[in-house]
Amino acid sequence: MQTNTIMQRRKFLILSSLLGLSPYIQAKELNTFEKDFKEVEPTIAAVQAHLFPEGSKIPAAASMNVTQFLFETLIHKSYDKDIRAFVIEGAQELKSRDKGRFTTMSHEDKEIALRAYEETNYGSNWLARIMTLTMEGIFSDPIYGSNIKEAGWKALNAFGGHPRPKTRYIAL
Amino acid sequence: MIYDVVIIGSGASGGAVAYTLCKAGYKVAVLEKGRLIKRDEFSKDELSYARRDLVTPNLFDEYHTIEEKVDGKWEVTPTYDSGMSFWNGNIVGGSSNLMSGMVHRLHPDDFRLKSKYGEIEGANVVDWPISYEDLEPYYDLTEELVGISGKFKTHKYEPPRSRKDFTQPPTQENVVVNLLDKSCSALGITPLVTPRAILSQDKGHRDACYYSNFCGSYGCSSGAKGSSREALLQPALATGNLTLLTNSHVKYLHTSTQDKIDYAIVVDTITQREKKIKAKLFVVAAQAHESARLLLNSASRYHPNGLANSSGELGKNLLFSGGGSGQGELHKKSLKNIHFNDLMTTGLFVNRSILDWYFIDHWWDGKFKGGSVEFMFEHQNIISRARKNNYHNGKLVWGKDLGDRLNKRFREQKSIRFEIFNDWLPNDNCFVSLDKTHKDKYGMPVGKLRLEGHPQDIKVGKYIAKKCEKILKEMGAKNIYSSISSAASQNLVAGGCRFGNDPKTSVLNKYCQAHDVPNLYVADASFMPTGGSVAYTWTIYANAFRVAEHIVQHLKKI
Repeated sequence: MQTNTIMQRRKFLILSSLLGLSPYIQAKELNTFEKDFKEVEPTIAAVQAHLFPEGSKIPAAASMNVTQFLFETLIHKSYDKDIRAFVIEGAQELKSRDKGRFTTMSHEDKEIALRAYEETNYGSNWLARIMTLTMEGIFSDPIYGSNIKEAGWKALNAFGGHPRPKTRYIAL
Repeated sequence: MIYDVVIIGSGASGGAVAYTLCKAGYKVAVLEKGRLIKRDEFSKDELSYARRDLVTPNLFDEYHTIEEKVDGKWEVTPTYDSGMSFWNGNIVGGSSNLMSGMVHRLHPDDFRLKSKYGEIEGANVVDWPISYEDLEPYYDLTEELVGISGKFKTHKYEPPRSRKDFTQPPTQENVVVNLLDKSCSALGITPLVTPRAILSQDKGHRDACYYSNFCGSYGCSSGAKGSSREALLQPALATGNLTLLTNSHVKYLHTSTQDKIDYAIVVDTITQREKKIKAKLFVVAAQAHESARLLLNSASRYHPNGLANSSGELGKNLLFSGGGSGQGELHKKSLKNIHFNDLMTTGLFVNRSILDWYFIDHWWDGKFKGGSVEFMFEHQNIISRARKNNYHNGKLVWGKDLGDRLNKRFREQKSIRFEIFNDWLPNDNCFVSLDKTHKDKYGMPVGKLRLEGHPQDIKVGKYIAKKCEKILKEMGAKNIYSSISSAASQNLVAGGCRFGNDPKTSVLNKYCQAHDVPNLYVADASFMPTGGSVAYTWTIYANAFRVAEHIVQHLKKI
């Protein structure tokens, strides 16, 4: 049952952006997406690794192929194109806030940087999105390329239902 | 080719009409805008079925606009902005493929709410033109054909039934029902076994439930779920009388005279080609808000305000379901009466509902229409369970703390949940009309839904929620909360084409035939002038069987 009142997503994404109206939200070009993704890929991977570190009771991002999962998820036609752009833009914003140093920071400095980013509505929204996209990898069927050897499911002792999918997404 | 009947929509009501007419030997075409997903294609893929719009249209392609009151002013938001989808399973069989199958009959007094409670200020309550007795044989028929499992127990608010007990026993139950039953009993509350449109035993071409753990929101891989596709369209196809046209979206119905539809303009959603499909009779079964929109989009010089809209009632008094939900956590450490390992057994049902508060007549609380309650586990989707409530003091939990938190959530507790269903009172600010600026990808105006609930709905929901919270407390649940709101339930939609005896105040007659256009029927939940306090599914099936029998009689005369 729906409990939230309407939040105007697109308006939120645009107005809360520190960069102003994003060229991606205007252009929505998939071919430029791949190029732009490559530029922020290390930043996104570093954030995922920080949110899902080694030594936790759930699998580490580093061992679950989550950045590739995130990329393949974003480019699939079922994915919301505004959020696709937002993921890139939020990573660019993080990069620029920390003058390109985020990926090489110590664990402690990364924590400080991300918590500071979280103070902004925009950053908080973006981090929640990266969290969701990473969990979608770790806890979805291994056919999507993450949750390798069902490590995510084993960690929670939760195995979903049967039958399992034979292909990614439903053949449309 | 001129079909005897063209049915627009293949969900519960379309399936029931198709089944009846095909069995009676008539040539029927069912037009479904989505595609066919067969039983062996369904899987329990959370990403596909629960997190992406793969069985409903992408909201950027097809959407509604929503009017909600914000600070006293009506504001319009397209659903591609809000993400609030009002599509419910656009595949063969419609949303009946994806239901949880908890079903109830309406109570006899639901058919005469105005007579029983009188006027309610700000609500457009009217009595139905038929009684429970008129519908009972078809509730019974649904029980048999669609397959509803359960166990009947006499209760003061359980409607009378012509068959002593269900044809199939209840589906298997999780041990939590022992704790739930005991807790209800301690509070003087009577729990009932939920009738469920899921087979506990094999039936014809359909196999019994195999307790997959992922039921609601997913298609069934054994055929146990009583979807229109499994239970009705398959046998209808077997008669050789049914032509199932998938990827076929109806733009509008064409009238060349005052009182007759000649054909439907149908667009192939893959090739975008348009064609005319002709029939003697047309049955609209596209789900309430879309059925009204289709008729509004079928305006012509003979019907300038929309097809079958001489009353001006088309699209008005749209209904959702009042109420809300609540839940609590059963913790390993504090669990009483049952073993934790048994509680954690997956796949088995909770199968309990409460009708004790269907009508309230209390010396202090007053006399008013109440509602029903269903108990269930929190949906077992893994990603959504992992993702929720991960904030601490307003900050996102991550790192090792997140690992600890999820480990505890999945291994040391299980959440039990209740859902409350009470009447969504029909009112002047809940209706569907055509949006003047937004059009769908076929160039037709989208449906604009104005959604306002009646304050009474909230009052009733909160009244029942308090009682349900007490049950969870008695069970020993922790972190109990409930949420009652006037937000429209996207998956429970009815009304918009009221049936009634007076053509000036209703769209359909008591057989759900349009007053204005004799070769038009509307078979889905659109006909309901009031919605009752249970999920609509069983009533939709039953009424569609009733309407279909009338259509057979109609066909015999032409």
